[in-house]
Amino acid sequence: MAWLTKNSGTMQIERREEPYLDDALKAKLEAEVIIRYPDRRAAMLPTLHAVQHQVGWLPLQALAEIGAFLGVAPSEVMDTASFYEEYWLEPKGKYVIWLCQSITCELLNRESLMQKLQAKLSIKPGQTTEDGKFTLMNVECLGSCGTAPCALVNETLHEDLTAENLDQILDALE
Amino acid sequence: MAFNEPVLTKRIPTPPFGSFADRKLNTYEDFVRTGGYESLKKAVAMEPSDIVEVVKASELRGRGGAGFPAGMKWSFLPPQDGEPRYLAVNSDESEPGTFKDRMLLDFDPHLLLEGIAICMKACQLDTTYIYIRGEYHAQTKILENAINEAYANGIFGDQSIMGKVNDRFPNCYVHRGAGAYICGEETALLNSLEGKRGWPRIKPPFPAVAGAFGRPTIINNVESLAMVGPILLNGPQWFKSMGVGRPEGAPPQVPASYGPKLFGISGHINRPGVYEENLGITVKDLIETYGGGMRHGKKFKAAIPGGIAMGVLGTDQYDAPLDFDIGKKFACLGLGTAGVIVMDEDTDMVAALRNIVRFFSHESCGQCTPCREGGNWMYKTLCRIEQGDGTTKDLDLLLEIAASMGAMPGTTICGLADGANWAVRTFINKFWDEFESRVKPSVERVIPLAVVQ
Repeated sequence: MAWLTKNSGTMQIERREEPYLDDALKAKLEAEVIIRYPDRRAAMLPTLHAVQHQVGWLPLQALAEIGAFLGVAPSEVMDTASFYEEYWLEPKGKYVIWLCQSITCELLNRESLMQKLQAKLSIKPGQTTEDGKFTLMNVECLGSCGTAPCALVNETLHEDLTAENLDQILDALE
Repeated sequence: MAFNEPVLTKRIPTPPFGSFADRKLNTYEDFVRTGGYESLKKAVAMEPSDIVEVVKASELRGRGGAGFPAGMKWSFLPPQDGEPRYLAVNSDESEPGTFKDRMLLDFDPHLLLEGIAICMKACQLDTTYIYIRGEYHAQTKILENAINEAYANGIFGDQSIMGKVNDRFPNCYVHRGAGAYICGEETALLNSLEGKRGWPRIKPPFPAVAGAFGRPTIINNVESLAMVGPILLNGPQWFKSMGVGRPEGAPPQVPASYGPKLFGISGHINRPGVYEENLGITVKDLIETYGGGMRHGKKFKAAIPGGIAMGVLGTDQYDAPLDFDIGKKFACLGLGTAGVIVMDEDTDMVAALRNIVRFFSHESCGQCTPCREGGNWMYKTLCRIEQGDGTTKDLDLLLEIAASMGAMPGTTICGLADGANWAVRTFINKFWDEFESRVKPSVERVIPLAVVQ
C-alpha cells in the first residue's frame, strides 16, 4: 500500500568524524562563489560540483553539510542534487565513460562501440567494474555531433571515436 | 546578397574562407588586434535606449531556437528601480545536432563577452550569469580565462569602461549546469541558477519582469549576443542586406529572416562541422557546398532542420530553404538551432524516431503529465514497432498521443512535449510507407453471431 511509508525521520545515515565539506573548501567557496549571488542557495550547484570534485561522489552526510553551509534543509539539497544527472549519490568508478547515445552518434554507429565497451569491461551501462576503475554510462547529446561518435571520460571529451582509438584511450588510463 | 564575408566566423577559419585545421583560440590580444571591442567603445558613447533601437531596427531574431526578435525582448524590461537586474546567457546547448555555440566558446569567447557587455549597457543590467552546460568542461575553462582577461582589461569590474551600469559595477560570472537538457528552457535555467531543480516556471510573469531572484532578467542565446557587436558596428542596414527577409507580401509585423547564421551539419555527410551562411540557404546547398556531399555516394533521405525538436524534412524537401519561415512551408516546427542532421537512404526511420523519442522521454522534467507519461508511452510503442511486434493501430496510437502532447496550448508548462509531438508526427506522416511496412495489420476480433446470441 503506497500510502504506508517508512518513517524516514528516524533514518540513520552513515557518518564519519571528518567533514566532507572541510574548512578550507568552505573558505574557498565563501571567497569565490557565494559573493557572486544575491542569496546563498544560488551557490548550490557550484558547491555540489566542488564537493563532488573533492570527494568523488556525494554521500548523504555531505548533502547535510552543504545544507547547513547554504542555510537550507538537507532535504532541499537532496531535492536539487537528485534532479541532475552529473551528481553522483552513490560511489562511482575512478573513470566514468559517458558514451553519447543521441541521434547523430547513433547514425554513425555508436552502438558497436557500446557493445565493444561492454565486452571489454564486462559490465553493462550504469555499472562499475569490480576493481572500481571504470563506470560505463549512456548519456544524451554531448554537443559534439560534428565529430560523432563521441564520449566523455571524466572531464575529457574524445571525438571521432573508432573501435581502434577507443582501445587506445582506455589503455592509456592508469 | 551572397555571403562573401564571414561575420561570426571572422576569427574562426571556416571553409570556404579558411580551413578547420587552422582554428585556434583567440585571446584578448588577438581579439583586439582584429577590431574587437570597437563595438563596445561605440556602445559606451551611446544612450542605452539608442542601442536597443539599433538592435530592434536590425530585426535580429534569437538564435537559440525560438527565433523571438531580440530587440523586442530587450524592450520588455520595466524601468529601473534601483535594485539589481540580470542578464542570463543561455549556453546550455543540449539539443541533439547542435554544436554551434560550442564553436564560438572554443575559439572566440571575447565575441560573446563583447555582446554581453553591450547588452548590459543597453538594458542597464548589472550582473551577467553565463549558464553553461555541465558537459562543456573545456569550454568552461576557456570562458573563465576569457572573463579574467576581460576583467583585467577593463571590460567588467570596477575598472570597466562602461563605468557603473544600473548604479553598480558590471560583473560577469560563469554558472555551470549539471547535465539536464531542460535547463536550456529559459525559466528552468533561472530555477537552476537559483540552486533549485531545473523545473520550468509557469508564465507569466515573464523573465523580463520577474526572472532570476525575482528581478527583471534578459535571457539570450550565445549566438544572438555574439551577433550584437557586429550589428552595432556596421549598422542595421548592413545586417539586413543578408538573408532572405520577409516572405513575399507579408506585412511588416511578420518577423523576418535577416542576417548570417551558424549552421551545424552532422550525420551522413563527408565534412560535418559548423559553417556560416546567410539565412535562406537550402538544405541541398548546405550539404553539397559546405558538407562535402553525402557520405559514400549515398542518396539523401531525410534531414532534421535544427535540433530534433523541429521534426523532419522528407526526401522531396531537399530544396527547402533554411530560414525562420521553414516551418510553415515545409510542415515542420521551424528552424530551431539550425543544427542540421542529415540521414542517407540506408537510415532506419523507425530507429531514428525511437532514438529521438527516448531523448524527450529521458529529458522530461516530470512536472506535466502529457510529457512525463506520453514520452515514455511513445518510446515503448516505438521499441515494439522496431522489434517487429507493432500493429497499424500502434501508428494511430502514436499520432494520437503526440497530438495530445503540447499541441493543445496550456496543457504543458514548457515546449519540450511539443518537440516530441512534432518529431513523431512529421516522421510518421512523411515516412508513412516505411512505418506501415514495419507493422502487422491490426486484426479486429470477429465474434461469430451465434456466440453473441
